[in-house]
Amino acid sequence: MTARLPPAILLSVLGLACAPAGSETVAIVGAKLYTMTGDAPVVDGTIIMRDGRIVAVGSRIAVPADARRIDGRDRVVTPALFNSATQLGLTEVSSVSATNDYAVSDGPLGAAFDVSHALNPNSLAVRQAAADGLGRAVSNPTSSASAPFSGFGMLLHLGGSDALEKPRLAMFAVVGGQSSNRAGGSRSAQWQLIRSALDESRTFRGGADPGGARDSTFNRLDLAALKEVTENRVPLVIDADRESDIREAVALARDYRVRVIVKGGLEAWRVAGELAAARVPVILDPSINLPLQFDELGARADNAVLLQRAGVLIAFTVSLPMHSTYNAGSALREVAGLAAANGLPEAAALAAITSNPAEIWGVADRAGTLAPGRDADLVLWDGDPLEPASLAVAVFLVGREVLPDTRQRALRDRYRPQSQALPPAYRN
Amino acid sequence: MGDVAPGQWQRHAQVLFAHAARAAVAATLLAIAAPSSGEHPPERESAAPPGTDFLPSTYRPLPREDVLISGATLLDGVGGRHERYDLLLRDGRIAAMGSSLPRTEGVRVVQAAGRWLTPGLIDIHSHNGTYMLPVVFENPPTWDVAEMSNPNVAETDIQHAINAQDPAFALALAGGVTTLQVLPGSAPLFGGRSVVLKTVPGRTMQDMKFPDAPQGLKMACGENPKGNFGSRGQAPTSRQGEVAVMRAAWQNARDYLGKWRSVGEPGGRDGGEGGGHGEPPARDLELETLAGVLDGKLRVHLHCYTADDIAVMLSIAREFNFKIAAIHHAVEAYKIPDLLQAAGTCAAVWPDWWGFKMEAFDGIRENAAYLDAAGACTILHSDSLFIGQRLTLEAAKAMAAGRGAGLDIPRERAIAWVTSNPAQALGLDDRIGRIALGYNADVVLWSGDPFSVYSRPDQVYVDGALAYDRHDPARQPVPDLLLGHPAREDDE
Repeated sequence: MTARLPPAILLSVLGLACAPAGSETVAIVGAKLYTMTGDAPVVDGTIIMRDGRIVAVGSRIAVPADARRIDGRDRVVTPALFNSATQLGLTEVSSVSATNDYAVSDGPLGAAFDVSHALNPNSLAVRQAAADGLGRAVSNPTSSASAPFSGFGMLLHLGGSDALEKPRLAMFAVVGGQSSNRAGGSRSAQWQLIRSALDESRTFRGGADPGGARDSTFNRLDLAALKEVTENRVPLVIDADRESDIREAVALARDYRVRVIVKGGLEAWRVAGELAAARVPVILDPSINLPLQFDELGARADNAVLLQRAGVLIAFTVSLPMHSTYNAGSALREVAGLAAANGLPEAAALAAITSNPAEIWGVADRAGTLAPGRDADLVLWDGDPLEPASLAVAVFLVGREVLPDTRQRALRDRYRPQSQALPPAYRN
Repeated sequence: MGDVAPGQWQRHAQVLFAHAARAAVAATLLAIAAPSSGEHPPERESAAPPGTDFLPSTYRPLPREDVLISGATLLDGVGGRHERYDLLLRDGRIAAMGSSLPRTEGVRVVQAAGRWLTPGLIDIHSHNGTYMLPVVFENPPTWDVAEMSNPNVAETDIQHAINAQDPAFALALAGGVTTLQVLPGSAPLFGGRSVVLKTVPGRTMQDMKFPDAPQGLKMACGENPKGNFGSRGQAPTSRQGEVAVMRAAWQNARDYLGKWRSVGEPGGRDGGEGGGHGEPPARDLELETLAGVLDGKLRVHLHCYTADDIAVMLSIAREFNFKIAAIHHAVEAYKIPDLLQAAGTCAAVWPDWWGFKMEAFDGIRENAAYLDAAGACTILHSDSLFIGQRLTLEAAKAMAAGRGAGLDIPRERAIAWVTSNPAQALGLDDRIGRIALGYNADVVLWSGDPFSVYSRPDQVYVDGALAYDRHDPARQPVPDLLLGHPAREDDE
């Protein structure tokens, strides 16, 4: 059970209860370290954090005298987890529309829809995810008023001062049979609309665009937003599962020279060679082995294995709606474990939830690996991190220990099996 | 039969035997006693004793041979753990178990050193076969999870909607599930009858149907019924409205059953509460189901999340003298484990679903561990074709949460959550859910610790027959849907 701290100390940066003093020097000693830097795990390793950064990692590291020592024997350290697609901070109770901010269905905002203004770092799911070892997450819109674009997603850093690391991280779009109605009923129209939007955006000159095309399909807000894509400041994430759509996505990247990321990708294994050659990463849930939709007829349990073997950069997300945001940390670890069980090398499975997403989303210089100079974002596990039955013993974000003061923990402690004279409401 | 009070069965038998002279009822009785003898619909439409199941099972075990599985770590499903143990499957039953059983000629030996044996897993909450893949929601949908036209559709039977070719069945089998209950959905208060199936592939649902398994009645409380019907301006619009509709229905069922109980008794003098006059009541399919519950023949499976809702449902069960076999999705059961324990009602839960709706807001991962600690019958269920492939991992997560809260639950105890406890709730604990002499030979041979993500069922036996073998494509069923699609072709 968490020690109870005075409220002033529970002051939260971002709604996360963090122990005081990121300036404290902390050393985890004697643990198995998955550094994710390409080397084999360091056995009996030591990692030292100070001022929010990792300052030393290795097997024979001297521990400074003033350091707080944490015994890592029989335990495992990994970088904090990184989930590449969630709605963290954009929802509280998904059945309560007043708490949902990840989509718009009306109004002028299409590609220009930017979810970052809605970010709620006090969301219970954000704190739960941090307690479960999640350090960073992409939080993205799911649809907008101008399909097939959904708008800008953001990058969250759950150890940051306001959780928002980068607004307008990437442009999101959805293509496929389930969503084609919003483009008139055909996925061909979806692709034509994406191409024509990129064309219009290229020639769009901003403001009222005097002299611009008179019959522009997309409004000026959307065209300005899409300049972020056409001028290669952000990638275009295309949510698609069917092979033909994934091939279209690769063709789009080639024809427009924009950076494309495929999300979903249940049939991506059929396009693995082309994706690797075009350096198009794939964000996928490796646990999906049955087709829920016609677009997914090729779904198979070793999708991630085949993609990784072909050299595609992969990162994981969780697609089951009960888990994708609510268990954005724990369920992410579970699907990575399932991928490993289905043949993905363990290091590759861990990379898909740590270093690979850091690379895909452009923060590899500070996240995803355990190395000097990186953010001190790491998790101490009581067993194999790919086993769902392992627990986070300690989570550090920016060098501060994240206390597991989640709402679930409060309920857990209140209803702990015991006999008491007073009702649970008095157990605080 | 399970935990139905013996007295209830006795009463039911009396009703039946009072009618032994009636050919039609005798035929019905035969259909119950020997389901494979063929369909004999009763001649008189009024002659249908409450709770009668009119669809016989046509299940036949797969071809089988006697098998000795040798040297495994065995979890028996009811708290026992044995190292380097042997298990003999003969004629579809567990015939012997122990250290170093004698080898017999003609018995195939499977070397299982380092591997684990558990009873076949039981998923008490599945929609497989009614949530047919790929799921089509357009009109007409392939979705047949629930009849949505009325809050009381107790007259419906999920057996009439199941597509045996749903690929989810084959993957459940590959995940070690040998028995699953297909339940109607939770929009209606009374959602209709459920059915228990084996995951052995068949051409029709009846080929998969577990012979002589009691049917269930699916009920639901809380947000779903009032949300679905209230939003259409139909009753119920509130929790109190839900309970009022339920109680009125139970009162009608009580009257109907009373008439049935007085059948054959001259003038109905000694009849039941309904005061019948010796003739069966006019047939009412809805009441036939509900009265079947009051008569102890159908088992209630109730979707209910919150502590208050569960407590109210347990009270109604007491008022109308029936038993709730299990509360499903009991997200707040950890707040009232004593009430469930006292009622002998199981709680079927997820390890980690929370937050997605108001009545799931208080979900905690220690739910199963707290229930177990209180001595309540604890079950982990899937409600998902994906999660239904990995029930032991669901149990592993629930064990881990318990460990984090200081409750160490050993594997031999946790395995009961997905074996003997659901068997009890289904009324099948005399046949499945444990590895014990005389029990059905439904067993899973795991590549390793069944609670590890890296372990997989190597072999799955149902009634002693090898229904799935991870290393033998000839023993890996492929459903019709997955045949012949270019998108599934593999050039490698």
